[in-house]
Amino acid sequence: MKILPAIDILDGKCVRLVKGEFDNKKVYSSDPLAVAKKFEQQGAKMLHVVDLDAAKIGKPVNQKLILNIVKAVSIPIEVGGGIRDIETARTYLNNGVQKIVIGTRAIDDVAFLSSLIQEFGNNRIVVAVETREGKITKNGWQENTGKNYLEFAKELKASGVVEILFTDVDKDGTLTEPNFEAIKKLLSLDLKVIASGGISDLASIKKLNNMGASAVILGKALYENKILLKDALKETAPISNLTKRIIPCLDVKDGRVVKGVNFKNLVDAGDPVALGKFYSEGGADELVFLDITATLDNRKTLRNLVERIAKEINIPFTVGGGIKSISDIRELLTAGADKISIGSIAVKNPNFVSEASKYFGSQCIVISVDAKKKDSSWEIYINGGKDATEVDAILFAKEMERLGAGELLVNSLDRDGTKKGFDIDLLNKICDAVNIPVIASSGAGSAEDFVKVFNDTNVDAALAASIFHNGNISIHDLKEVLQENNLQVRL
Amino acid sequence: MKIAIIDYGASNLQSVANALTSLGRSFQIISDPKKLTDFDKVILPGVGAAGSAMEKLKESGFAKILPKLKVPTLGVCLGLQLFADFSSEGNTKCLSIVSGEVKKFKTELKVPHMGWNKVELIKESSLTSGIPNNSFFYFVHSYYLETEDKFVIGKTAYGINFPAIIQKDNFYAVQFHPEKSGEWGLKLLANFCDL
Repeated sequence: MKILPAIDILDGKCVRLVKGEFDNKKVYSSDPLAVAKKFEQQGAKMLHVVDLDAAKIGKPVNQKLILNIVKAVSIPIEVGGGIRDIETARTYLNNGVQKIVIGTRAIDDVAFLSSLIQEFGNNRIVVAVETREGKITKNGWQENTGKNYLEFAKELKASGVVEILFTDVDKDGTLTEPNFEAIKKLLSLDLKVIASGGISDLASIKKLNNMGASAVILGKALYENKILLKDALKETAPISNLTKRIIPCLDVKDGRVVKGVNFKNLVDAGDPVALGKFYSEGGADELVFLDITATLDNRKTLRNLVERIAKEINIPFTVGGGIKSISDIRELLTAGADKISIGSIAVKNPNFVSEASKYFGSQCIVISVDAKKKDSSWEIYINGGKDATEVDAILFAKEMERLGAGELLVNSLDRDGTKKGFDIDLLNKICDAVNIPVIASSGAGSAEDFVKVFNDTNVDAALAASIFHNGNISIHDLKEVLQENNLQVRL
Repeated sequence: MKIAIIDYGASNLQSVANALTSLGRSFQIISDPKKLTDFDKVILPGVGAAGSAMEKLKESGFAKILPKLKVPTLGVCLGLQLFADFSSEGNTKCLSIVSGEVKKFKTELKVPHMGWNKVELIKESSLTSGIPNNSFFYFVHSYYLETEDKFVIGKTAYGINFPAIIQKDNFYAVQFHPEKSGEWGLKLLANFCDL
């Protein structure tokens, strides 16, 4: 369940109304943009912004301010209030707003909803179901339509709506408790329900979470510190004991493991089979094996090595380097690899990724994202980090997810071999852009670097080579440090 | 003792084979269902999508024979899901060995559920003998089985609690990959071989 802090804007200011009455308001800040940034800093994953002036008069009033908020924060925003024509909807949805909430117009005009859903998809359109004494209200809660809320919800579902925002106006701003009974009835219609109005304590949030609400909107309770955002986020964090993964990487050249410093000055660091077995037994969660000089000549050597390593280890095993065809993938999977890391060809021919994931399943397609900072963005490099491509790394990551990649292995060419720590900025941008697992790579110099990357980003795994090969730190000792820092690891 | 690994052309069998080899167990990879009667243990591995896997099981004839087996049979990952009545992955009718439905994870967490997660053992079974409670196993999947509690030997938390190990009579199944799950994964496979 998502926690959505509410920013209700009246006359350019951040306010809360009590029971939807425009004369019964309290101003909390004259700078809604600063409020949005503050919620983002406190860990909010999404915001709910309402143009109250617009809700009242039926056309946007604070739109410019709202679009500035959208630009100023990097979390998704849902906007409601006075969206009653297609142009207003387009202005929001084509300028970075994630979802819009339709109220009054939805009550009067089902065809309008259908055209919105057709243009933007059903997951970007939320319909407000706002009630007083069980009947639907409209025009900024000022007018009672006499329509039963459940009947209305059924009509919405029939017209293709998947998500509704339920507000019991009688409860809004009262800091009592939400109308659980009504929410339960709405959930039983198999609609996603965002709950709003009267939520004043963690117990209510917990109850809504257990009931299966898709989100709750918190307004007054946050502004008056009845609930701290971090507590609400913690209360609703999904249960999971999935651990962060630690992955040693074997960069192999001519059948021997080498450690790379900025992909230059290769120095021999051991026998791949012995090293693979050593790591598997030493607590590694996975092994990555990259043939960094993959050529046709050593293809057979590679296959043979993969076969020998696979026999020695019983943890997942990813192999990459010079993959160019479906038959390359099949050959390595047959030799005992579990996943295949794909690099240059994914950039040159993205459709290959789609083909490969259909053929072998997403779970075994790992995309190597080799990125280097360029001005304020990151550019993809190919051919072992040698050639720039002008492809934007974040867009590339999204595209790879869409085409069926199961996981991303993110290498920072700026950090590779520097031991200055992982590229937190890059990893955050990529984790925000995709919902598949991300492996952080490049720059690990100490146990603290691993703690930092897991605390400051949403990556699932961290990969390193020389720090392990050199014996600077063992995988077991590293995991103990992570555990001391309250990170879940397999020990 | 003879162990069959079913090859229905849908999955990568090599890692299961490697794991059995490292345990010193002999096995055969079988693609003809008629031969199944020669074996006293059967493993149904699985990677990929439910729809195409069921199609291949039907084409090859395994789909008819599998539910009638009387010997210990182990489903792995997709193999577990294929034991169910139905999978919402491609709206696929499955083998109906265990009652229940396979559903997609609906969670804010990343899907697929990929990595090492704890298995809480809630019922005793020879399959998990000697394995400590809350040991870690390696998972890769986007769908999970919803079934009756009486079949659940071990469960795992990922947004919800889902069955990680199930058993019904001679049918055993695990949602994780024991062949990729280090020491305790091998122990589970050894336990199965010793049933």
